[in-house]
Amino acid sequence: MLELKNVTRRFGPNTAVDNVDFAIPEGQMVGVIGASGAGKSTLLRMINRLIDTSEGEINFGGVRTSALKGQQLRNWQRDCAMIFQQFNLVPRIDVLTNVMLGRLNHRSTVASLLNIFSDEERAMAIAALERLGIEKVALQRAGTLSGGQQQRVAIARALMQQPKVILADEPIASLDPRNAQIVMQSLKDINQSDGITVITNLHTLDTARSFCERIIGMQAGRVVFDGGPDDLTEDAARKIYGADNLEDAFSEAVTSTSLNGSRSKSSGSERPPVARPAAEQNPVYA
Amino acid sequence: MLATQSNNPALHIDADGNYDVDGHFKQLRGQKRLYTILGLGALFIVLFFSLWFANETNSGKFLDRLPHFFDFVGDLIPRDGWEIGRALFDLSSPYFDGSLKFNYPEGRVYITESLYIPEYFYKMIETLNIAILSTLIGFIFGFILCFLAASNLTTERWLRFVVRRFLEILRAFPEIVIAGFFLAIFSLGPIPAIIAVSIHTIGALGKMFYEVVENADMKPDEGLRAAGGNWVERVWFGIVPQIMPNFLSYGLLRLEINVRASTILGAVGAGGIGEVLRLSISRGHEAKTLAIILILFVTIVCVDQLSAYLRKRIVGNQAFEFGA
Repeated sequence: MLELKNVTRRFGPNTAVDNVDFAIPEGQMVGVIGASGAGKSTLLRMINRLIDTSEGEINFGGVRTSALKGQQLRNWQRDCAMIFQQFNLVPRIDVLTNVMLGRLNHRSTVASLLNIFSDEERAMAIAALERLGIEKVALQRAGTLSGGQQQRVAIARALMQQPKVILADEPIASLDPRNAQIVMQSLKDINQSDGITVITNLHTLDTARSFCERIIGMQAGRVVFDGGPDDLTEDAARKIYGADNLEDAFSEAVTSTSLNGSRSKSSGSERPPVARPAAEQNPVYA
Repeated sequence: MLATQSNNPALHIDADGNYDVDGHFKQLRGQKRLYTILGLGALFIVLFFSLWFANETNSGKFLDRLPHFFDFVGDLIPRDGWEIGRALFDLSSPYFDGSLKFNYPEGRVYITESLYIPEYFYKMIETLNIAILSTLIGFIFGFILCFLAASNLTTERWLRFVVRRFLEILRAFPEIVIAGFFLAIFSLGPIPAIIAVSIHTIGALGKMFYEVVENADMKPDEGLRAAGGNWVERVWFGIVPQIMPNFLSYGLLRLEINVRASTILGAVGAGGIGEVLRLSISRGHEAKTLAIILILFVTIVCVDQLSAYLRKRIVGNQAFEFGA
C-alpha cells in the first residue's frame, strides 16, 4: 500500500503539487492524467524521492519513505523503479550493461565499478530483454536504438531492480503510436503477471482509459478526479483539462496508443488489440 | 549627442507620421563608423606606446641592434653540413681536436657493447618522459578532483569552493616558478620538473574537466539515481562514459603543451634536451645546437600531429555518435 498524505511541493512561490491525498493498494495499475504543468511529474518524482516533499508524507508498507536518508533512501529507490519520458539510459554503454545497472543497489560499489556482474545477473538481464522482445540489440550501444527500443530497455532495467512499484513519467510521450502501444502493453503485462504496482503519467485520455484500472486526474497541483475508466465522463475530463484543452486531450493523433484512430470518444473502455511479439511488430533492428 | 541617439525609430517619424527608414539607417551607420574609427585610433595609440616602452626598457635599442641579427646566424653555421648529422648521431668528427666542441661520441648511452642511443635522442626521451609522466599524473588527479568541483554533481557549496580554489592555486604559478622552488629542494634533475609540470597540469586539466562535467547531460545520472545508485556509481556510469572523449582530448592537448614546458624547464636545470640546448648555445657549439634544434623541432611536430590525429578520432567519433 502506497499512501500519500497531504503531500505538497512548492518551487519558490509556485505550488506544483497541492495537498494530494490518496492511497494505492498493491498491484494496481494507475494512470495519472492532467494538462502540462498539473504537477504529474512532480508527484512521481516525490514518490521516487528524486525531489523532496515540502509538506505531508508518503508511506509505503508502513515505512515513511518521504523521510528516508542515505542507504535506506537508495534501497527505497531500488524498490520503486522509475521510467522516464526521455528514457534516461546511458547512451554510450551497451544495452545489456544498461539493463544490469538496474542491479546497482543490490551489489557492492567496487564490483560495480569494475564492471563485474555475476552470471545470474547477466542471465536475468537477458531474460528481461527477451521478455520485452529486444534481446537482439543487447550488445549495441543504447544511444543507437530507436525511442521505442530505448524505452523497453528502460523497462528491462526497471525489472532488474526487482521493484515493488514502477513509476512511469510520460513513458510514451516521445514515441509513435505503435511503439507507445508496445510500451504500455509491456507495463500492463508486468502489472498483471508480476503483481507490481504501476503508476504512470499520461497525457492522453484514451491511453489511460485503455490500460489503467484507476485514473487520477490532476489540475493545478490538486487531485480533481479519482476513479475507474468508466467514471471518466466528459464532465470529469473537462474538470481535469479545463474547457480549452479538452479537444487536445481527446485528440488521438498526438501521442495516443490507438493505431487506427477510428475509435470514438465514447468507446473508451474497449481494449486495443494485444501486442504481437515484438520481433514480428518491429523488424527494423535485425 | 551620441548618448541621446539610441536605436529609436520614434526620432525618425516626421510630422505626417511617416517613418524615415533610410534616414534612420544612415544615422545608425554614421554612429557605427564613428565608433570604429575611435576604437582603431585608441588601439594604435596603445600599440605605439607599448612598443616605445618596450624599446626604452630594452638594454640595446632595437634598430641599433638589428644589423647584428645575422652575426648570430653566422655563428650557427657549422664547418660542413655533415657535422649536424655527426652531432645528432654521436659519430666521431674529422675536426676533433680534443675540445668539447667536437667530442660527439662522448655522450653515447650504451645499451649493449656496440649498440648505443645517441646523446640527444636520449635527452629528448628524458624530456618526453617528463611530459608524459606529468600529463598522466595531472590527468589522474584532475579526473578525481573535477567531479568534486562540478556544480551539477557536488551540491555541498563549501566542498566545491575548496576544490575549485585548490585547483586555481595549482595552476596559478607557471611551471618555471614551481620548478625553481623544487630545484632548491631536490637539486638538479628531472624530478623537480615532473613535480612542477604535474602540479600545473592538475590545476589546468582539473578546471577544463569540471567545465566538461558541468555540460554533461544529466538524464543518465537521473536514471541511475532513481534506480538507487550511489554517488560514485552515478558518476562512473552516468557521467564518465559521456565525458571521457573530451577528457582524453584535453589530456592530449595538455601533453603537447607539457612537451614544450619540460623543454623550457630543462634550460633552468631540470635535465633533458633543454639543458643541453642551453649549454650548447652558450658555448657556441654550432653543429650541436643545430642538431638539438632539429631533433626538438621534429619531435614537437610529431607529438602535435599524433595528438591532433588522435583527438580528431576521439572527438570526431563522439560527434558522430551524438546524432544517433
